[in-house]
Amino acid sequence: MSTATVETTKSWGGGKSPFNVEYGKLMMWYFLMSDAFTFGAFLISYGTIRFSTNGWPDPNEVFRSFPFAPEGVHAPLVFVSVMTFILIVSSVTMVLAVKAGHEMDKKSVVKYMIWTIIGGIAFLSCQAWEWNHLHHEGAWWGRNPFLNADGTASSTNFTNYFFTITGFHGFHVFSGVIINIIMLIMTLMDKFEQRGHYLMIEKAGLYWHFVDLVWVFVFTCFYLV
Amino acid sequence: MSHEAVLHGDAHGHDDHGHHEHHDTFLTKYVFSQDHKMIAKQFLITGMVWAVLGGLMSVLFRLQLGYPDSTFPFLEDLLGKWGKGGRITPEAYYALVTTHGTVLVFFVLTAGLSGTFANFLIPLQVGARDMASPFMNMLSYWFFFAASIVMLSSMFVETGPFSGGWTAYPPLSALGDASPGSKTGMDLWIISMALFVVSSLLGGLNYIATILNMRTKGMSMTRLPLTIWALFFTAVLGVLSFPVLFSGFILLIFDRNFGTSFYLSDIFVNGVGALPNEGGSAILYQHLFWFLGHPEVYIILLPAMGMVSEILSINSRKPIFGYMAMIGSLFAIAILAFLVWAHHMFVTGLNPFLGSVFVLLTLLIAVPSAIKVFNWLTTLWRGNIRFTPAMLFAIGFVSLFISGGLTGIWLGNSALDIHLHDTYFVIAHFHIVMGVASMFGMFAGIYHWFPKMYGKQLNNTLGYIHFWVTIAGAYLIFWPMHYEGLAGMPRRYYDFSIWESFKQFGELNKFISLVSMIVFMVQLLFLFNFFYSIFKGRKLTNQNPWDATTLEWTAPINPGHGNWVGEIPEVHRWPYDYGKDGVDFIAQTTPVGADESQH
Amino acid sequence: MSHTAQHEENHGNGEVKKVTIILSVLTIVELILGFWMIGITSEALRLAIKGTIIILMMAKAFYIVAYFMHLKHELKNLIMTIVVPLGLFIWFIIAFLYDGNSFRNLRNTYDPYFKERSTIKVEKKAEGHGGGHEAGASHAAADTTAHAKDTVSVENKH
Repeated sequence: MSTATVETTKSWGGGKSPFNVEYGKLMMWYFLMSDAFTFGAFLISYGTIRFSTNGWPDPNEVFRSFPFAPEGVHAPLVFVSVMTFILIVSSVTMVLAVKAGHEMDKKSVVKYMIWTIIGGIAFLSCQAWEWNHLHHEGAWWGRNPFLNADGTASSTNFTNYFFTITGFHGFHVFSGVIINIIMLIMTLMDKFEQRGHYLMIEKAGLYWHFVDLVWVFVFTCFYLV
Repeated sequence: MSHEAVLHGDAHGHDDHGHHEHHDTFLTKYVFSQDHKMIAKQFLITGMVWAVLGGLMSVLFRLQLGYPDSTFPFLEDLLGKWGKGGRITPEAYYALVTTHGTVLVFFVLTAGLSGTFANFLIPLQVGARDMASPFMNMLSYWFFFAASIVMLSSMFVETGPFSGGWTAYPPLSALGDASPGSKTGMDLWIISMALFVVSSLLGGLNYIATILNMRTKGMSMTRLPLTIWALFFTAVLGVLSFPVLFSGFILLIFDRNFGTSFYLSDIFVNGVGALPNEGGSAILYQHLFWFLGHPEVYIILLPAMGMVSEILSINSRKPIFGYMAMIGSLFAIAILAFLVWAHHMFVTGLNPFLGSVFVLLTLLIAVPSAIKVFNWLTTLWRGNIRFTPAMLFAIGFVSLFISGGLTGIWLGNSALDIHLHDTYFVIAHFHIVMGVASMFGMFAGIYHWFPKMYGKQLNNTLGYIHFWVTIAGAYLIFWPMHYEGLAGMPRRYYDFSIWESFKQFGELNKFISLVSMIVFMVQLLFLFNFFYSIFKGRKLTNQNPWDATTLEWTAPINPGHGNWVGEIPEVHRWPYDYGKDGVDFIAQTTPVGADESQH
Repeated sequence: MSHTAQHEENHGNGEVKKVTIILSVLTIVELILGFWMIGITSEALRLAIKGTIIILMMAKAFYIVAYFMHLKHELKNLIMTIVVPLGLFIWFIIAFLYDGNSFRNLRNTYDPYFKERSTIKVEKKAEGHGGGHEAGASHAAADTTAHAKDTVSVENKH
């Protein structure tokens, strides 16, 4: 017990980071916390509007298509589960890239970064397909062709929120892919070897996992409940 | 770069050369400077420009309120079609009120106050060469600058700046046809505010990381001056609440431009639905806005509280009373700030039961506020007080905080609020407790740290005139407004002279307008003092003019980029050792003696 | 690098594998629940399932933050500074949703137009979505006037 107290006073005593992390990582964490409030505000607004509206479309009736499906075949949740798994897998490859960075293993970093970038692009393609498909069905900001679960006319806020929030998330994925590509280029240019550490990859990784984390919430709020 | 250097940030990289002005050009030294002290001055001077503009706006609309029947030909020269026939038009009046609010709240009292003092004081008082990321710090200023330019340009568009109140409630903000200012003016307003959110985020992250990570050796968290604690909580509030406003604005942009109806429930004109889309909720916007809006009040107030604590202690030559209680109450205020937002919405359709929960949480704020007030008073108690201008403004802050805080207890009750909401009572309350009080904190800070900023002294006589006129004026302007508000006089009305029941206040309104002009003039006197002293002020000969203990006074009189020549001093004690063991003050850098008593 | 190297040993590839499996299993359970919910009409049971899904969501979030984002292996102080502010979400969510619900009740009680609109049934449009924009327009014709007007105006823009 006493050693623990000594440890704490020492770590807060100044002259060093109390958390033993560099300032960039600390800032990244607090930025993500701040961004969590951005997404939180979006999702909570969505919930508020849903609570203040009579009736809401059934997601299984809306999101039931997938690419190359034969005419008339509907499979709710299938396509979005594919998207979810793509994002989880790309998150795993990112973890492996960060780990490889810790071990100063440039080759593995490059390999896993490429896989992560591919995962990100795959997710974005899926999203583009889904948006395009919904648009063809007549859905867009301010337009909602879907009916409520009980057969009454639905508020346009269903599509408004869907496109705004998945769009904002997609924008985060897009910027994450850009960041990852920059990290990949920097790795290939031996920038991190020269610095002697791969901490930048770790920060990019935090951002990428956060994007995955947000998807967990978006997925649940729009497709499941 | 070694791992140690990585852990401690870029700024420590130039440990070996405290000064490196040799390769500074004009552009890197004064414009795109990454030195936290220069960035602080940039924030301060931009804030001052906005304060003058915002103040001038209030004088103009006070002219309308005080003299609704008179015409002033100069208004037509100044405002063109907005001042036709020497009278401010109703559209211009609302534009002035809106811009006055936005500018003063965000640009002056947020960026100008915490931007200036967080930048200036954090590295100097925690003992760091610069912010954690000087580059991001520079970006923070330039985003603020861009926001300023966009806001300024909104005043020159044909349809005028936004005129739906600084809170920008829909539908006035969501429908382009709602008022002249809702068109281009609102677009520019929202762009400007989005840039401002980015600026405050970049700044806030930097402040937090610097305070946590870059304290000098021995500067534990409980040895930090209260200014730093206050600025720390300010930054936390900003980082957590501005993103919510940002989300709210994104939804608002969609409502304005892309045919959505997040905030538009339904509007009927002659029995026909007037909106293309409906089904949203205007209350949702108010929730999102005030989720930022209430923490924002404390973003404005906390830095002032921190600086006042510091200045009161230094100029009473006594340790601050209840240091830990001060930190605890700052923490409590920061938490409560996030829990009470809906007390701004008691009469807008909020659920009454939910409202009563918000009443309870709101009244809880009185506890930490009272702790702070009593601690300030007991710090003054039997102190050896030096009435410098900074000290007078600090005492003025305490006075205003008490007067304005007490009316907050009235307004925090949802039942009383039914009568008082949107009246001059509210205007009086928040101008005293948040507006003028924070301004006083800012003035106290400027008078106190001016020698550190510019290596010169401000003129004391002008400072005393500035203080006495301003405090008298502040009370003369806002105290009578309480009576007007209790009588039911609503805010944001263009002309009260047509109501029989408000005619009795005609002379009072004239008086308030007159005083506001005098107070505005005196602020110009302060500006003269400020700029004159930068160039012609008495040169500082003593590194530590106030006999203070904190670290910034151990740096050279005009510190270069890097703040200290040679090693950064080590800290051995808390910052409030005044009058200890009969010694006037003991600097934080002095090691603790063997026979010294405990504090 | 001592700190980093130190905790490198106690969570190798095994941990990544384990967490990946846990996340996949949780997602699959969520999907099963989602599929199960399609046929259920009982409101109470649906609510219970939705609650379960939300709990699973929180569990997934925990695993991502704790292991992928490495938070569990940071110092306790850092964990606290990140987790404690997130507690603000509790009141944020409760107050917003409570007031949203209250706004619906308010309008259902005092706004006949709002209430009426939400009871008008719209006949289900034909299966298949070959029609694209036309499908949207045709169903809107059967809708209330306000709604029809909006769809038409949107159509005109295109």
